[in-house]
Amino acid sequence: MTDTIELLDKLIADLKKSGGVESCAAVSRDGLLIRSSMQKEQLAESFAAMSATMLGAAETASTELGKGVPNRVIVESTMGRLIAVGAGPKALLVVIVSPETGLGLILLELDKAANKLKELLE
Amino acid sequence: MIETGIPKLDEFLGGGIPKGKSLVYYIQPGVEGEVFGLQTIYNSLKKGDTGVFVVSSTIPDIIKGQFRDFGWDISKFKDKFFFVDAYDSLIGAPSNEKYVVPNPDNIEAFSKIIISAIKELPPSTIVFGSLSTIIDLCGEKETMQAVMTWNKMAKIYDHVLVYNFTAWPYSEESLKAIKEDMFNAVISVGGIAERVIFGQYFGILKADWTTEIKKSMLFRVLRPGGIKLYIPKILVTGPFDSGKSTFVHALSTRAISVDRLGTTIALDHGHVDYKGFSADIFGTPGQERFDPIIKLLSGESMGVFLIVDSTNPTDFIRAKQMLEITKSYGLPFVIIANKQDLPGALTPEEIREQFDLSHDVPIVPVIAKDKKGVYEAFEVLIDKITGGL
Repeated sequence: MTDTIELLDKLIADLKKSGGVESCAAVSRDGLLIRSSMQKEQLAESFAAMSATMLGAAETASTELGKGVPNRVIVESTMGRLIAVGAGPKALLVVIVSPETGLGLILLELDKAANKLKELLE
Repeated sequence: MIETGIPKLDEFLGGGIPKGKSLVYYIQPGVEGEVFGLQTIYNSLKKGDTGVFVVSSTIPDIIKGQFRDFGWDISKFKDKFFFVDAYDSLIGAPSNEKYVVPNPDNIEAFSKIIISAIKELPPSTIVFGSLSTIIDLCGEKETMQAVMTWNKMAKIYDHVLVYNFTAWPYSEESLKAIKEDMFNAVISVGGIAERVIFGQYFGILKADWTTEIKKSMLFRVLRPGGIKLYIPKILVTGPFDSGKSTFVHALSTRAISVDRLGTTIALDHGHVDYKGFSADIFGTPGQERFDPIIKLLSGESMGVFLIVDSTNPTDFIRAKQMLEITKSYGLPFVIIANKQDLPGALTPEEIREQFDLSHDVPIVPVIAKDKKGVYEAFEVLIDKITGGL
């Protein structure tokens, strides 16, 4: 158990180190915070619940329309981007990146991390 | 009797720890357990008792800083709170504390100081900050012998002894002796990975002065605040326009909602800190077209508030259906008879009849918009979740 938590913390810390990432969190599919890089846990909890809802709603909408499971949800605003990807049936991974960050690299890192998270929780 | 100050634990222990008894917090490595000893001693100081803290793993000033981090002001207990400094001599630093162990790696020297404190002080709460560190320095067998002596003496001098013990891989016999024989009470503090909730819990393994309650509680450690019992998810559900969002906001210390055109379309999320409990509240939408989202968010709840509009009995069928959608049958739930201020509102008893509910289902009358009854409802649900003592 302790090992899993350590590995999770490492995964989050590594992802946080990727260029442009402001904060990131691992969240359970039903909206509970697993681990985050945010200082204020209470903020992180709301953030977790909202991200899980967003991804869940997007996945429901897309599959209902026969378009399959979406790869990710990207929310863009002038202040930055929020990206949520599924990480297996139990969890998802969310990052907030600064607006000038290129998407290519961060999506790659995020997918890699999501795969690891999925394996970690199996 | 002294109280541990840890929410629910005193209730589980039949009021607290009687004078002359010993208690060990048996802590899994990697879990934030040291705070248990700190919270216990702070609480007994607050109640006017004398307290002694035995520092083995760091300098006393760091421990004092930890008290401050938790928001516990120990400066006002100066003449009632003493440290046994079993660290500074190790690093060759001078110490200003009342009791100083000159050779903390020698159990006889250690024991001499502890015994003189036991003899000199009025009945006190004596907390060992880290029994494991003493074992590491002085050896397993030697330390265990000394602990037995201290516990025996505490009985005669009416002290309460509390130990923080981190269960590193010591010998099987030692761990077993600590868990089963050496102390009057053992509280295990550990971590769980229940599906994906990573939490920490405590539970009573043993308490020889009361009937043992084998109940575990999730907790989290807040700075400031200390140990709070943690309920990761309480679901608030109910038909359209029954007042779910209003209820979440009335109950929560802080809450956010995703609503458009006056109705919740995604969820309400709130956080409650109340009477030593820390809980996260998830409010679902009520309208049928959002059912997929309700299903998505309702997993892993520990309890449910089902909100009904007391003036609108036609909605009761939908309310029952929502319990099914959220897979909440079997979970502790409380029915919130909201909008009690409106004309034509049914009483809880009338609702029970309409709903065809048995008598053990609690129905709490509430006016969510005026925050009336919401905390009562919270207490009722918490009691059901924690086993209602």
